Amino acid sequence: MLVEVDVNGRRRSVELRRTGGRLTAVIGGRECTVDAARVDAHTWSLLIGGEVGRQPDPPAGAAVGSALRPAMAASYEVSLASEPVSGGLTVCVGSTPMAVLINGRRRWGRKEEGGEPGSGPQRIVATMPGKVVRVVVKLGEAVRARQPVVVIEAMKMENALNATRDGIVSDIQVREGQSVDAGTLLVVIV
Amino acid sequence: MNKILIANRGEIAVRIIRACREMGLSTVAVFSECDRAALHVRYADEAYPIGPSAPRDSYLRIDRLVETARAAGADAVHPGYGFLAENATFAAAVCDAGLTFIGPTPQAIALMGNKTAARAAAARAGVPVVPGTESALPADATDAEIARTAASIGYPLLVKAVAGGGGKGMRTVHEPAGLADAIRAARSEASAAFGDAAVYLERRLRRPRHVEVQLLADQHGTIVPFVERECSIQRRHQKVVEETPSVAVTPALRRQLAAQAALVAREARYSNAGTVEFLLDEDGRFYFLEMNTRLQVEHPITEMVTGIDLVHWQIRIARGERLTLDADQVLTPVGHALECRIYAEDPDNGFLPSPGRIQQLRAPSGPGIREDSGATAGLDVSIDYDPLISKLIAWAEDRPMAVARMRRALDEYLIGGIKTTVPFFTWLLAQPQFLAGHFHTTFLDDLLATRNGRPFVVPPPALEDVAAIGAALHTVVAPAAGGELAGRAWKWRARAGGLRGLPGAARGARAWTRPAEH
Repeated sequence: MLVEVDVNGRRRSVELRRTGGRLTAVIGGRECTVDAARVDAHTWSLLIGGEVGRQPDPPAGAAVGSALRPAMAASYEVSLASEPVSGGLTVCVGSTPMAVLINGRRRWGRKEEGGEPGSGPQRIVATMPGKVVRVVVKLGEAVRARQPVVVIEAMKMENALNATRDGIVSDIQVREGQSVDAGTLLVVIV
Repeated sequence: MNKILIANRGEIAVRIIRACREMGLSTVAVFSECDRAALHVRYADEAYPIGPSAPRDSYLRIDRLVETARAAGADAVHPGYGFLAENATFAAAVCDAGLTFIGPTPQAIALMGNKTAARAAAARAGVPVVPGTESALPADATDAEIARTAASIGYPLLVKAVAGGGGKGMRTVHEPAGLADAIRAARSEASAAFGDAAVYLERRLRRPRHVEVQLLADQHGTIVPFVERECSIQRRHQKVVEETPSVAVTPALRRQLAAQAALVAREARYSNAGTVEFLLDEDGRFYFLEMNTRLQVEHPITEMVTGIDLVHWQIRIARGERLTLDADQVLTPVGHALECRIYAEDPDNGFLPSPGRIQQLRAPSGPGIREDSGATAGLDVSIDYDPLISKLIAWAEDRPMAVARMRRALDEYLIGGIKTTVPFFTWLLAQPQFLAGHFHTTFLDDLLATRNGRPFVVPPPALEDVAAIGAALHTVVAPAAGGELAGRAWKWRARAGGLRGLPGAARGARAWTRPAEH
């Protein structure tokens, strides 16, 4: 079974195979054995042997290929949580979080919107619920990358949402004083 | 004193409940609508609703808190920190109701809560203060008048809320052009946070350290200052890492700081726990900054290096007991401790708040680790409150080992469903300047400004491979117990066919466990 997985924006094809009660994964042309133990609904303990992941050094004195050498397996704890705003997953390996999309999809049944990053309109979206305290830009105004566009107050702090690229403000969807939910479209910059 | 109402929520309410239980005292929790299932409610002996989630309708409602305390038969109130902890009106209302307020007198709170009056008190006590305006800027002052006042103090300067605390209502101004905006923002934030828009101006020292002295004072005139805490690692004037002792403080300087802190407390006729904050410049000169008339967020690090339980002593002092601490012992730290404030914020997205449901949580533990938290899996981090979810504290015999221990603990920390500042701390605790102890109050903001949005933790490709394998595996195996992922995963499986009917998959138990080979 082949699964396309985007990790931090880079796509990987993972092929999972099951042969004789044993699971192997092929990723980027490299194969590894996977011993997967489920800890709870969100958490897996993975022991990965083969060419993938960090490989432990062989014990001092152990001859490579020796029949006495135990199979090497690197141990990872993998936990998964859904991302309410993006619709993707956050996958932590140990305590290192990574943004993950399965088969290029965010919410089920809908292809990912928009094009490549760096092209097309920028949609400035509320990343958390809060109150719009200031709309810094005007319709038709030229903005520069990293310039504040909207200021939202949440958790008692004012947080500026910035433009990611240079552009022209083509749409303003909110007014000052308005309460917004996470994911609300605030401003479009073309 | 038999029963204590804790007028707070989150980790500090849990911390205080623990102390009460250790001392054999009954506890009364209060909760807003969204905190019904919070840990402090579950740990308390009794718990009562006090209103809707917005703080002004619940945790800031003096009338409801006092009424609840009386109705529940409590004889004392502990305010924690934040909310009403430094509100003299609340302290007075508690006392007027015939209850004991576990903290200083309303008079001392009022004096130190007014930052300009506090500066004047410190000056009267002979303690040096940072140059600045002697009183609040008049609300009707024109921009031109304010600009003249600012020019007489000199740039860079700080705009600070007279009623301030916790870095709220504070702005740095580097040049006259930014002054009006900074004052407007500070006034708006101060008004929202403290109900008082008054601000004043203070010179910003060059590269100072923020060093503070914890003290306890009983009602009989005994004042005991503790070893200092170093709180220079701040982001936007909010402390993010605290440690004790400070690498910049010699034993001689420690005694000077302690003596000056005691002078400020004596001038304020202070009792109970409090903290005198100083700025320490590069030449070892120090200036009074302000006094916090409450238990501090970072109090655990002091407890770790002195072995003293500050909350126990707060209660004992409020009961009228005399301090019996050894003054030399609490000025002589054993080992080194640091604290990381774990916030529900996304460090890779400008530290924006990241509220939401905690889908899973495993806190670190083991030797030298203390975790003060009010969070559990299944709880929602609300947008209504401060996004601090946990304080991680590490103690070890020396600073390098305490840092190593903290990094070990951060690696163990697992929080799913919300973004937290754990990756940021992993990065910070590897920075050479941090490890060398070379920092000052704007060190972190300066360092962050050079990063241009690079992620704090860049996983090596091997780790991304493991994440991909884990995600693929999780997708093709039905999650054990429903949950958000279940529907999607099942559909995907149905469409893809292939792996249905795997042993263990439907049970969701151990799937594909490789048989032992040796």
